[in-house]
Amino acid sequence: MIETLGIFPDFESAGRAVERLVREGFAEAQITSLTSVSYPDGALVKTGRRSWFRWLTLGCFIAGAAAGFALAAGTAWLYPVQTGEKPIIAYYPTGIVTYELAMLFALAGTIVGMFLEMGLPAWRKRPYDPAIAEGCIGISVTIHPGGEAVVCGREAETGACVGGVVSLSAGEQKSRAEEIMREAGALRIVAEEPS
Amino acid sequence: MSEPTLSAAKSAVRMNDAMLSSLRPPTLRWYLLAFFLGGVVAWGLYAFGYMVSTDMSCTGLDRPVMWGVYIVNFVFWIGLSHSGTMVSAILRLSRANWRRPILRAAEAMTVFTVTIGGLFPLIHLGRNWVFFYLIPYPNQRGLWPNFRSALLWDATAIFTYIIGSSLFLYLGMLPDLAVARDRCAGWRRTLYGALAMGWRGTAREWLIFQKASTLMAALIIPVAVSVHSIVAWDFAVTVVPGWHSTIFPPYFVIGAILSGVAAVITLMAIIRKAFHLEEFLTPLHFDNMGKLLLVIALLWSYAYFVEVQTTWYAHEPIEWEVFSFMAGRYTPALVLMLVGNSLLPLTLLCFRRIRRSVGAMLVISLLVNVAMFIERYLIIVPSLSHKNMPFVWGTYSPSWVELSVTAGAFAGFALMYTFFAKCFPMVALTDVRELEARKVLVPFARAELPSIAGKEGGDD
Repeated sequence: MIETLGIFPDFESAGRAVERLVREGFAEAQITSLTSVSYPDGALVKTGRRSWFRWLTLGCFIAGAAAGFALAAGTAWLYPVQTGEKPIIAYYPTGIVTYELAMLFALAGTIVGMFLEMGLPAWRKRPYDPAIAEGCIGISVTIHPGGEAVVCGREAETGACVGGVVSLSAGEQKSRAEEIMREAGALRIVAEEPS
Repeated sequence: MSEPTLSAAKSAVRMNDAMLSSLRPPTLRWYLLAFFLGGVVAWGLYAFGYMVSTDMSCTGLDRPVMWGVYIVNFVFWIGLSHSGTMVSAILRLSRANWRRPILRAAEAMTVFTVTIGGLFPLIHLGRNWVFFYLIPYPNQRGLWPNFRSALLWDATAIFTYIIGSSLFLYLGMLPDLAVARDRCAGWRRTLYGALAMGWRGTAREWLIFQKASTLMAALIIPVAVSVHSIVAWDFAVTVVPGWHSTIFPPYFVIGAILSGVAAVITLMAIIRKAFHLEEFLTPLHFDNMGKLLLVIALLWSYAYFVEVQTTWYAHEPIEWEVFSFMAGRYTPALVLMLVGNSLLPLTLLCFRRIRRSVGAMLVISLLVNVAMFIERYLIIVPSLSHKNMPFVWGTYSPSWVELSVTAGAFAGFALMYTFFAKCFPMVALTDVRELEARKVLVPFARAELPSIAGKEGGDD
């Protein structure tokens, strides 16, 4: 699986390239945009809108609440002190420690989950061009080995992940994608070497 | 092939240049400022060292007033921290487009103010070198199960808030760090590259980033409210006259938001001037922040009125004694507090012309925070001076040690902020550029009106 990246000077030419790539038979799941600002989903490319990292936030929240409760109430149970007929477990501190740790874990879980779902930090060098930071638009096409259906999420519509160009070899797909992007107005192509 | 020459790309380059101008090599003036602030911090550290090497008798603390300027500082700084992240989160959730240029200043302010605020309970301890007694741990003294101390509530809440607001600041900076990485060389490129974690700005990355930003904003608001509520409980759960009040937590939260919003306005005015960001921090931003300050000042006035009116009407002897003592001994301070927190903002901020004047807003916001510091002082000291037993009534005046440590704290905050501004983008540049990129002219009857392209309900 290799990636080829076209750098476009503006939004219009990048959009034109995406349209032509799709018309040629590349699947939406193979194409993504690289931009330095966020655009509405579907303006350039369509992404699967479902994400899972918020479940990790919820899981961390519950884990944090359990940890906080165990820390405050659990230790009070294990090491009971003289409380003068007051409850062994003090409600206020237990509530506060439980709540604060639940929120702390949830906040940390959100960041960790976000990075995990993004696949960051990236250990592998991927095609990129610093001109993207200056307002250029990158259109990246992921080339799969010839004859292999493009794999994407289970929630994708039937057929959306199988591009019409799969019958071509990887080299042919790459050449075709680069040619389309150049025709659409790409300033340059940054291609990843096959691993 | 040639580089992009179209207006969109040109605009992006120009905006990057302007908004990353704070990262340019420091000028002589910057060094002088850093040197001055460093000097004040060093003096504060000397005073603290003096206190440690002698004892707490060098402070003005004495029975019955054992909480003095250090605790005033603690409440004040935690209050300041309140609004940065919270204002940013609320504006983010409400998708107020004008929020974009002020986000970073507000979020960074929170991180540094909560750091300074968190130091004061430690400074206040007296025997600072045994600060770890704050943390319950298993030892022969049986401290492990002691989760009952109110100090521990503060420690837990502040720790959560420091971590949470730092993560929130970092999350917002992630795409900006990638832009900075692509434009810098040397150690800066290494630093920004490491912090950007290989961000490329793919459509999927942006989508997840937006969702995470929204979720973080939703999570940080209850944390911010809880922190200042817990600080208020330090007072409200005691039986000290003037403190034992159900209104304290919301009153503290409102006060915290008031001082925080004012501090954001102050920083906006300073950053605007220092980094020539007039194009991005426009009178519109001061106008909107002024409206926010006006509303919060109104709420604070209402809360203060309710508190005083209840005390006055009930006329419970000890409560009334504390209030009378405070109003009599600290009359000028009380007047200044009421003028700065209530009268001045409520009258002046009704005028659009004043809200749009950067100079006027700077003065008003500074005055609000002077008044807020006084308010914290008037909450803490008079109540302890005149507690239930008249034979231990007394007074308190801060010593040079406490005042020096306070000055060091203010300088320390300014120094940290100054360093941050030199090392990281001070304006959320991708946020600002996003607004510019999405701006379109829509034909409307005979005119073409600017509109922001986006999906209904937002993109996240």
